[in-house]
Amino acid sequence: MIRFDNVSKTYPGNVMAVTNLSMEVAEGQTVVLLGTSGSGKTTTMKMANRLIEPTFGHITINGIDVTDIDSIQLRRGIGYAIQHIGLFPHMTVSENIAVVPGLLKWDRNRIYQRVDELLTMVGLPPDFRDRYPSQLSGGQKQRIGVARALAADPPIVLMDEPFGALDPITRQQLQNEFIELESKIKKTVIFVTHDIFEAVKMGDRIALLDRGVLQQISTPLELVTNPANEFVEQFLGQHRLQLSLLTKTVEKLFNKTKITPPPAKGRIPERCLQVNSSLLEAVDMFKRTKKVTLPVYDKNQHLGDIDKSHLLEAITRMINGNGGSR
Amino acid sequence: MNPITAAIQKLGPEIINRTLEHIYLVFLSMVIAVTIALPLGVYLSKSNRLKLVSAVMGLAGIIQTVPSLALIAFIVVIFAIISLPTIGTVPAIVALVLYALLPILRNTYTGIRQVDKSVIEVATAMGMKPHQILFSVEMPLSLPVIMAGIRISTVWTIGVATLCGLIGAGGLGDLIIKGLRSIQVDYLLAGTFPAATLAIIFDWALSRLEKWLSPAGLRGGASAER
Repeated sequence: MIRFDNVSKTYPGNVMAVTNLSMEVAEGQTVVLLGTSGSGKTTTMKMANRLIEPTFGHITINGIDVTDIDSIQLRRGIGYAIQHIGLFPHMTVSENIAVVPGLLKWDRNRIYQRVDELLTMVGLPPDFRDRYPSQLSGGQKQRIGVARALAADPPIVLMDEPFGALDPITRQQLQNEFIELESKIKKTVIFVTHDIFEAVKMGDRIALLDRGVLQQISTPLELVTNPANEFVEQFLGQHRLQLSLLTKTVEKLFNKTKITPPPAKGRIPERCLQVNSSLLEAVDMFKRTKKVTLPVYDKNQHLGDIDKSHLLEAITRMINGNGGSR
Repeated sequence: MNPITAAIQKLGPEIINRTLEHIYLVFLSMVIAVTIALPLGVYLSKSNRLKLVSAVMGLAGIIQTVPSLALIAFIVVIFAIISLPTIGTVPAIVALVLYALLPILRNTYTGIRQVDKSVIEVATAMGMKPHQILFSVEMPLSLPVIMAGIRISTVWTIGVATLCGLIGAGGLGDLIIKGLRSIQVDYLLAGTFPAATLAIIFDWALSRLEKWLSPAGLRGGASAER
């Protein structure tokens, strides 16, 4: 849906912010632009809504070159969220959320209802509508920021480190909520972050950039298990093990345990794992439940069981393999 | 009878007339000064021509450094050369406007410049047009600073306007000059006391107006530049 075709951005004095970047963001997908500061990730994102114009190359949305679309119209159709400072301090929560609907000249009732809907969607009570940003906590501000980006229901959302200014606990909470929200509303998202864990968590695909050059674009699992070059390997660095625990699912592990015949459909137990649960989640679940065996489900289909010892063995193998390779 | 009540009885009607003249001079000058300085300040804050910005700011700054008495004298002399009226309200108001420009100009310029860049960027990214950003984001956010400039200007102008009595523009300066010429304290007081009171009242009224105009979300937060 969004396509970058050999896009470069140079600044006066031959500074290459982005060099020959080509990538595609499929409809409904979240692509995370990952890199250190100065890697060109934010520049790349801002070229999608023409906050920055590329020097060379083309960016198309649904096949239409963005430079052929009036920049004002283009931007009103793309949600935008940045770190907490982005809220207008002189506007109430509802005024902040209603900016784009207002620009699009929605009628007042529709805007009013939409604000309520969005406040509920991001988990805030409706009486927050008349508060000012200065009366909100960091997490609440960020929820409003997300609500504002989604206000006019744009098919595309750009997010620049939207959870960057939050404490780790609130950040995790908002990440989880956004993942859940995203799965319901199905947006095409370009998400910028410098945090590899956030990238692995949020992205369907990760585009890792270094000094304006795209190093690898792949699924989180592929990135972690199969780094394309030395830079990617270095970037993963000491986090590699943790990341593989996050990206590898229990799918292959329980296969080796004996599969019990699927029981009749019913309520699935609370203490269970899903096939797409990560190893980290599995370890966590064993710790919390103090069990030695946990059932594995695919939605509500019981696929088998996983042993704690088996899981730990697999992780030990990974640690050893990891340690051996470096 | 105590000298103050005696002075009030003797000069009462004149004090009222002079005070009204004074308010007229100040009000008209401020309206003109704001009309010039506010748009100019906005224009300069958007301008990328730094030389132009520093030239205009420099010029306004130089005017400010000229002693107010000398500025009025210069205007009279220049008006005489180009044969414009040298007595009365016109040269007085020109002098007062020139004097009032800088604080408004500077505060408008810095007020708009200090608006958080990321807020402007978000406004742009949401598809606001430049004039929408100016009127619904930049102006409200810089209002406290702009209003502070207008307040400073007004208080100064109330003081400087007493000098306009020298060129027959009326106002409370008339009473002060009379007192000076005739060595009479009651005239001096009759000019000074209302002028000082006016300054205090206007300052207070404008600060109320500023609070009233300031967006609720900023109240208590933004500090005015003085």
